[in-house]
Amino acid sequence: MAVDIDASTASKETGSGKKAGGLSRGSAGGPITAVRAAQLAGGLALLALAIVLPNLINPYRMFLATLIVVFATAGVGLVVIMGWTGQIALAHVAFMGIGAYGTNWLFSDLGIPWLVSLILSAFAAAVVGVLIGFPAARLRGFYLAIATLAFAELIVRFFVEVDTITGGIAGKPIEIIQLFGLAPDRSHWYIALMMAAVVFIATDRLGRTAFGRCLRMVRDAEIATGSLGISATQYKLLAFALSAFIAALAGGLFGQLLTYVSPDTFHTALLIQFLVVVFVGGITRLSGAIIGAIFVVVSRELFQDVGDWQRLVYGISLVLAVRFLPGGLTSLWSTLRSARSLRGVTQEAGA
Amino acid sequence: MVQQVIAGLQAGSTYAMLALAVVLILKATDVPNFATADMGLVPTFVLWQLMDSFGLSYWIALPAAIIFGMGLALVIERIAIRPILAESHFATVLMTIGIFVVLSAVIQLIWGSEPRRIEAPISGNFQIGGNFVTYDQLATIGLGALLTFALLRFFKSPWGIRMQAIAEDRVTPRLLGVRVDRVFSISWALAAAISTLAMTLHTQSTVLTDTAGAPLILKAFVAATMGGFGSILGAFLGGLALGVIANLAGFYIGTGSRAAVAMIFVVVILMAKPEGLFSKARPREV
Repeated sequence: MAVDIDASTASKETGSGKKAGGLSRGSAGGPITAVRAAQLAGGLALLALAIVLPNLINPYRMFLATLIVVFATAGVGLVVIMGWTGQIALAHVAFMGIGAYGTNWLFSDLGIPWLVSLILSAFAAAVVGVLIGFPAARLRGFYLAIATLAFAELIVRFFVEVDTITGGIAGKPIEIIQLFGLAPDRSHWYIALMMAAVVFIATDRLGRTAFGRCLRMVRDAEIATGSLGISATQYKLLAFALSAFIAALAGGLFGQLLTYVSPDTFHTALLIQFLVVVFVGGITRLSGAIIGAIFVVVSRELFQDVGDWQRLVYGISLVLAVRFLPGGLTSLWSTLRSARSLRGVTQEAGA
Repeated sequence: MVQQVIAGLQAGSTYAMLALAVVLILKATDVPNFATADMGLVPTFVLWQLMDSFGLSYWIALPAAIIFGMGLALVIERIAIRPILAESHFATVLMTIGIFVVLSAVIQLIWGSEPRRIEAPISGNFQIGGNFVTYDQLATIGLGALLTFALLRFFKSPWGIRMQAIAEDRVTPRLLGVRVDRVFSISWALAAAISTLAMTLHTQSTVLTDTAGAPLILKAFVAATMGGFGSILGAFLGGLALGVIANLAGFYIGTGSRAAVAMIFVVVILMAKPEGLFSKARPREV
């Protein structure tokens, strides 16, 4: 069991390492132990790469790599609520705001340790998530989209109003943390990796349990849930809480990366980036969040200097993803892979 | 007080017109169009350009802009919306959000973000009982009421009835010989014309910027929600009520409360009376 956990840790780390290093992982898992050992070795190699990465690339690239990890982590929250549970929830970046402001307030103004502040803020966001979940339990389709957008708007207005905590409309500098006295960019990188590992593994495991299957059932066959003794409302609320919790965790670190946040940071522009993250990546898979995060951060970087081409790219990729690739880029990959393995099978049969 | 109510009615009439555009498309094609405001903003910039570069008069530029807006809507409907019509609200919500992002980015790329003024021929004001009323305000409120009346009549006409029948069921009307695709096109074109009028009136009485659309989208949806989706008169009254209430709250409580009031409104309505809404719009799986 311990080995198993190590393997999946390594594979998650690979995910993060892959983004940064542009490397690709070996073949998919199978029952064969040799494959598994190779996977483990590859994973450990990439974990090692992830650890030494700050020595290899410059601090700005390091910032981008960390941003990818943070975006992917926050994307996991959207996969849970939109991909697994099937709810059009558009308040995600507001929860990230709660994480960013909350953590900084508890840490900087009240002197609570950073990690404790982060977790407390995440719980606060989860509570707000449940509040938002209540109308969600009764609303479907675009009604929910409107309700969650309105809630997000209210939260952003709240950020503007409570200026003793948030600095109001002008924003607030974030007090930077250092892990074991490391330089800030290194600290952020390692914290992001650890957080991503925890979130990805925990969510992945959760997705395989009865809880995860119930969420998918709420999405696919809500009418049937009642007759099976499953409370759709309860699962929707839990999904909202979990999604908000993850968003706030990522948000706390996102604030650290930005070093300065204002209410506008957590508004429509960021929401659109996250819609691109999950829908271009693939809304039902955790790996989709990673692919999507790479896509968004890379295009953000490529089109940085040409102003609003960036937004155009996001818009067009969202439209194209919805139109042609509802399963996102990860579905493309698995389609190709299954086509290839099918070809392998026929070749074997021929021989 | 009266001044505030009049200003609120003007803002509310803009929300109401956009809500009418939302409801029109929703009734005909069952698509919640989050790109409504920006589909009107692009033609508004075209109007400004026609007046500014070619020196056209407002009364020539406005119809030209409306026709442009209708053409744009037809293209969008054909290439982006129709292929995914069979899918759930999930797909259509995201698609229209995507279209909104594309349109607002295009506006920014072509016209930049400096504020502009539309020199409207209707300007100035008059006094009623010590309260100033601008002709802009009168035009906006009047046009909102006129459009509502026209749409109410329209939905009683054969085309309007076809439109509603298609929103309910896309197969049977087709079997009865209704050109479903043509009805879709008409609803999008009409909605774009209404959006163009709304955005033109809104930006000529305030200022024309690339970001003028975004804050109005949610307000339009709030207005449509207040009226109960699917109701033309409801959307209009909802828009007016929203405008007046938000304006009074902004005046008496503080400008910060202005946006918040609208949001609280929609949340309360959606939480307290979703059954009322569902009785108008049929529930469906997402």
